[in-house]
Amino acid sequence: MDLLTSLKISSSGLTANKKRMAAISSNIANAQVTRTEQGGPYQPKDVVFGTEPAKESFSEILENEISEMPQTVVAKEVVNNKKAPILKYEPNHPDANPQGYVAYPDINVMAEMANMIEASRAYEANINALNTSKSMALKDLEIGR
Amino acid sequence: MNIDDKTIQALSASLKFRQMRQELIASNIANAETPGYKAKKIDFEEALARALDTDGELNMKVNNQKHYNIGGGGFKNLEPEIIEDANGIISPDGNTVDRDSEMSQMVENKVMYDANVQLLNKKLGLLKYAIGSDNR
Repeated sequence: MDLLTSLKISSSGLTANKKRMAAISSNIANAQVTRTEQGGPYQPKDVVFGTEPAKESFSEILENEISEMPQTVVAKEVVNNKKAPILKYEPNHPDANPQGYVAYPDINVMAEMANMIEASRAYEANINALNTSKSMALKDLEIGR
Repeated sequence: MNIDDKTIQALSASLKFRQMRQELIASNIANAETPGYKAKKIDFEEALARALDTDGELNMKVNNQKHYNIGGGGFKNLEPEIIEDANGIISPDGNTVDRDSEMSQMVENKVMYDANVQLLNKKLGLLKYAIGSDNR
C-alpha cells in the first residue's frame, strides 16, 4: 500500500467518468436521430461501472479476495438502453413507417443533463483525491529536511 | 540513547496507516457510483494507542507471578482493521459511499499527515542538534 496506488485509484475514477461523459454527450447529441447504420432510431447508451483490485501480483489479488482492500473503478461495458422508441405521428417524415409514425429514441435530455452534472462532480471529487495524494507524497520528501 | 525510539516508531507507523487511509478514501470516492460497492474504512488509532501505551493503563494486570503479559505486540505487529463503513447510507443499487463525508475525512487525514511529518522533522531536528553535525 502506498500513495502511488492512491493515485492509480483516483485516475481510474477519472477514466471511468470520462467514458460516462462520452456516453452522455452521445445520447444528447443523438436525441433526435431516427436513422442509424444498424437501422432504426439511435439506441441510448449506458455505462456500467464495476470494481477491479488496485493490485497486480497474484498474492496481492488473493489478499484482496480475503480482506477488504482498496479497489479501482472501471467502466466495465457500454450497454444499449432497452427502452422502446417513442412513436410520433409525422407522415411526411422520410423515416415514417406505412402508418405515418416515426420512431425517435427515448432520451430525456433533462435526465441526461442531470447525469452529466453528476459525472462532472464525480470527476472533480476524484481530481481532489488525486491532488491530496500528490501533496501527501510530496510532503514525504520533506522528512528529514 | 536509542535513536529508533517510541516517538519515531509511532510517527512512522501513523504515517503508514494514514497512507492506507488515503488509499481507501480514494477507492471510496472512485467507486462512489459503482453498484454494490461497500464503503471501507480503516481503524488504527486504538491499535496505535495500545502499542504506545504511554500511561501503562492498557497493560494486562496480573495477580499471579506465573501470569505474564503477552503484550500488545509493539509496533511490529500492529494490524490495522479494514472494515466496511456502516454509515447507514445505502442507495438503491447497494452502494454505501457518502461522498461528502469521504471528502471531509480526506481533508482531515491530510492535515494530520502533514502534522505527523512536521513532528517527525522536529524529532529528527532534536537528534541533529544533539549530534551537532551541522555546527549551527
